[in-house]
Amino acid sequence: MTVPFADHQVSRRSLLRWGAAAGAFVAVTSLTACAGPTGLPGKGTLTLALNRSLVSLDNKLNQFDAAVTVQRAVRQGLTEIGPDITPRLVLADRFELTAPTQWTVHLRPGIRYSDGTPVTVEDVATALEMYSKVQGGFVASFFPEFPTVGKIDDSTFTLDTKKPLPVLDALMANILITPAAANKPAELQGGVGSGPFLVTKFNRGAGTYSLRRNENYWGEAAGVDRVEVQFLAEESSRVIALRSGAVDVIDSITPDSATQLQGLPNITIQRASALRMNQIFFNFRKPAGHPLANAKVREALTMAVDGHALVHDVLVGSVIQADGVVPPSTKGYVKTGEYVYDPAEARRRLASLGATGLTLKIIWETGEFASDASIMEALAEMFGQVGVKTTLQEFEAGGDISTWRQGRGGEWDLLGNGFGGPTGQAINVLQGMYAGTAEKERTRDTYQGYVQPAVASLIAQASSEPDEKARDAIVVKAQQAAWDTWPCVWQFVPKSILARRTRVQDLALSDSNSYPLTDVHLEG
Amino acid sequence: MTYIVKRLGQGVLTVFLTVSTVFILIRLAPGNPAVAYAGPLATSAQLAQVRKQFGLDQPLIVQYGTFIRQLLSGNLGTSYSFQAPAIQVVLERLPFTLTLAFASILLAAIVSIPLGVWMARRTDTKKELGVNVVSIAGQSMPDFWTGILLLSVFAVVFPILPASGFATWAGLVLPTVTVAILQVALISRLVRREMAANLAAPYLTIARSRGVSERALTWKYAMGNSAIPVFTALGTRFAAMLNGVVVVEVVFGWPGVGSLIVRALATRDYPLIQATVLITALLAVAVQLVVDLAYPLLDPRVRLGKASAS
Repeated sequence: MTVPFADHQVSRRSLLRWGAAAGAFVAVTSLTACAGPTGLPGKGTLTLALNRSLVSLDNKLNQFDAAVTVQRAVRQGLTEIGPDITPRLVLADRFELTAPTQWTVHLRPGIRYSDGTPVTVEDVATALEMYSKVQGGFVASFFPEFPTVGKIDDSTFTLDTKKPLPVLDALMANILITPAAANKPAELQGGVGSGPFLVTKFNRGAGTYSLRRNENYWGEAAGVDRVEVQFLAEESSRVIALRSGAVDVIDSITPDSATQLQGLPNITIQRASALRMNQIFFNFRKPAGHPLANAKVREALTMAVDGHALVHDVLVGSVIQADGVVPPSTKGYVKTGEYVYDPAEARRRLASLGATGLTLKIIWETGEFASDASIMEALAEMFGQVGVKTTLQEFEAGGDISTWRQGRGGEWDLLGNGFGGPTGQAINVLQGMYAGTAEKERTRDTYQGYVQPAVASLIAQASSEPDEKARDAIVVKAQQAAWDTWPCVWQFVPKSILARRTRVQDLALSDSNSYPLTDVHLEG
Repeated sequence: MTYIVKRLGQGVLTVFLTVSTVFILIRLAPGNPAVAYAGPLATSAQLAQVRKQFGLDQPLIVQYGTFIRQLLSGNLGTSYSFQAPAIQVVLERLPFTLTLAFASILLAAIVSIPLGVWMARRTDTKKELGVNVVSIAGQSMPDFWTGILLLSVFAVVFPILPASGFATWAGLVLPTVTVAILQVALISRLVRREMAANLAAPYLTIARSRGVSERALTWKYAMGNSAIPVFTALGTRFAAMLNGVVVVEVVFGWPGVGSLIVRALATRDYPLIQATVLITALLAVAVQLVVDLAYPLLDPRVRLGKASAS
């Protein structure tokens, strides 16, 4: 006879017994857990806690600062951006401009991947092809055009472009080389690299990676046996993890956390200037006759902003006020002016220019930079002192601010925004922000509508000038020309802050907010 | 069996309606997945290419049709940010969420049931009042604050437990305790209420007069009659945890589904949002089904699919 499920003979007594057994199991495992290891890193293991999840060890789509540290430990480029923000050779031992549109490259003898296979010219050609094919790639956006590879022999090749690309050596630092057969026009999840570490385990969903020293590494062996990479989104949790010794390094921390950690035994704080410019940028899509279309009005408004107070009171000294249009760490930077705080003069100039009774709408995306909301509130207060009214609108991350930036979401006057310069070259920062043309503006692909033909022309000249000295001179002129248009009511350069256990030695935090993992050693 | 089939049918309908609603709502919400994917520097042409690549240039009804076709073939699309099958990304995280949810609900049950019984047996005493105050405090403490407090004490001041992650089983202790504190506060008060009502019921007075021991009166008679609401509450709380205990996951760096969905929402990763909702909805429906099927085991008077005997 079939017994219906509902009448199945499982007594309440046996149910309670099972429940008790399960409870006992949990209690025992919890107690066992308490008696077990506490998860502290081992003697030769360096543990990093990142504030963003590392989705892969490839950079075709994503490349945030800390990711560079880990990605370069596994995969390498022909060049890299060195601590002095100039390109230096890695997989190449020669990278020279041999004609206005041609670079000649020689691969370093003896370089090989962690599986022992050699790095080839075909791998470089395939890498460039894959980076160019990936849709919406982060790296691709910095290449005006992708060079083609002309093989000369097994180790030598040319990189040819249609137009001169004088900073190609810096741009190529972002192209990570992978065996051609394993490369795809997408982010590679695991795979083989030529770096000082190899991946032994990863969970991209959790953002955890286990790296081991690459014993086949072509260069000097890494200073630590293993590296564990964790993802800890919450900053207070990362601070606690560092204090407890569960992690060795936390990066990109806020000034508040740095203050909290400063002076604690076994913890050291490191700071570096960043290759990033944070700005309160004017909307350059105003019609002729609008007060903000007048550079003199924009200049007058800058005088309402007390930069010193913002730096010291709001941002507690974690940034420096900009005195140019590109970050001071970039190669080719020049000081172009200063922001002067003079509210009386601001009021007088606005009145003389007929720009009285102004109301400015300031927009920004949450988390665009540290203390963004506080800065905007302080700006509103400062503008109020000179008779300018303000409205503030904050957009949630991932929301519609991009539509607004393109002028398709609604009217605005000032935008809180950040612009990074991962190549370390002033020219690339200028190209990204100030090289807008009428043609680009037709598709709303300019930077907040910034179209200044004189500035764009200088940037275009510099971009195709093969002679370094001549190029640098034009880059200086372009910066001054851009500054003179008063594009931002205020700008600042953040400092990168990293905290580490003192057992971590030889960690050289660069201005690109990354550091070579291979150099790091552990004390004791 | 008919009951189970009927409930399974209801479950499938619930899941279908849930994923369909989410499909539409996330597309109505502000934000643009193409921008989140390609970054703020992408040109209009690049954004158009990305939209085409993801099928976002199609009318909503076409996108929905594609989604349903893929769903029926077990394909939930490719996560924009992970560039991997969305279902795979969710399944990589699910074991962490299940582990934390199981451990938390078991710890909550082990602590809250005896505590609730203890409170019920001491109703309206100073001791009960004291425990009540503590449990209300537990209920009022934000997860975030509790987590940080526990971390500060047990990972920094007395470094006996890991501060984050799940590298060892010890890593489970603090997140479990943090989640369980709120559950204990809720469930113990429910147990107290049910048990207090049953302990004062006439049938217990009669049983007592017949010489039944206090232990049997409490654990067999009164608890027997309180089991269904308590078990239902445990099931409901457990199902809620399967959606991820977002704050606790963030504080402890717990790589579960909760923090994944936060990330998916921030990057407007539609396939990942849909996969997460589908999996958690399926699990929640399954848990509710198990709870329902367990009723006859807890109370023999209950017959599935029929009105309960009084």
